[in-house]
Amino acid sequence: MKRFPAAKTIQVSTDFYQISVLPFSAIIIKICRAYTNSQEDFEDYYQEVCLQIWRSRDNFREQCEWSTWVYRISLNVCLTLLKRKKSDGKTYFTSDVLPDVVITENKAFEDESLNLLYIAIRQLSEVDRALILLYLEEKSYQEIAGILNTSANNIGVRVSRIKERLKKILHGKIN
Amino acid sequence: MEKSIEAIWKEGFLNEKSLVAPKINDLYNQKSMHLVDKMIRMFRANLTVIIITAIVFPVIHYFLDVLWQGMAASVLLLLTAWYNKRQIDSIKTLDQGTTSLDYLKSLDRWLKEVLLKSEKIARFSYPLYILIAISTIWSAWEKQGLTLKIHQKFPNLIAIGDLQVFAIIIAGATVLLMFLFAAKIYKWEVRLMYGRVFGKLAETITEMENLKH
Repeated sequence: MKRFPAAKTIQVSTDFYQISVLPFSAIIIKICRAYTNSQEDFEDYYQEVCLQIWRSRDNFREQCEWSTWVYRISLNVCLTLLKRKKSDGKTYFTSDVLPDVVITENKAFEDESLNLLYIAIRQLSEVDRALILLYLEEKSYQEIAGILNTSANNIGVRVSRIKERLKKILHGKIN
Repeated sequence: MEKSIEAIWKEGFLNEKSLVAPKINDLYNQKSMHLVDKMIRMFRANLTVIIITAIVFPVIHYFLDVLWQGMAASVLLLLTAWYNKRQIDSIKTLDQGTTSLDYLKSLDRWLKEVLLKSEKIARFSYPLYILIAISTIWSAWEKQGLTLKIHQKFPNLIAIGDLQVFAIIIAGATVLLMFLFAAKIYKWEVRLMYGRVFGKLAETITEMENLKH
């Protein structure tokens, strides 16, 4: 995989967003969509992630791929924003218990099956959402563990459980 | 037959380029805010350190039995803190302009003016600090009878009152050197404390100007 230029190169870049963020926007979009229920929230989260990437650009030490760095920041920002919103008193599905009302908003993608999958993913706990997104992005268990700062040992078991859960939610909805 | 979630994901994102990223209209405004906030936070932290030092100094000097020198250093520090506070407050009067770029530019101009003024003040305050430090050391030595010992060992040394002329010359030379190098030392200190954030300010202005054209 192509490595991202070193932090020093980014610093002198005339347009950080064009060079360092936009090529990786798919990652940010995929993650932000999983943590937001409306277009407005999605745009706010997207912007905050971009800003955080800019803020922490000097901390990038090339110990991982730039894309992994973007995953990490995106997930951290989304989780932080969710926590902040929760403390503001807004309701979000964070427990492992299925919510009573299924969110059907935010049909952001052309593919209807993908929209349904996203609706199902949004019903998972915050960490499970991160885990399944990384799994679907074909990250190895080792990489997932690295990004989520956890042990790689039980990732496989956890992924199987999440998949089962998603299947249960999606049962009969996807052909 | 039902599709696996992996297949849904893969097929849904077959063409990743069709994903439309939201426009980042406000990114540079937010960047500017972040930078200015950080700078003000750093100035305030520095101010707090000066005030705390001004309070602690007389206490330490009291125990060293050189209270007057401690008081003098404290007054000098409090004057510095008062001056710095006035400078920080004057940020509010900066021309905010119509864009964040205008604001950052006026902040940059303000910063250069403040640093120039502070550099001039440092020319006089730094030698004063040195003078206070020399006086503190001298008083401590005197209490241990060092002056008397020097006088006994070198009775031919010229003295003005209790002070040996050679000591006055050394103190004078140190103060003069401090006067000459105060500006350089001040610049070095500023670079050490704020170099990174000042660099980011310059960098952001360049970045925003390039985007404008």
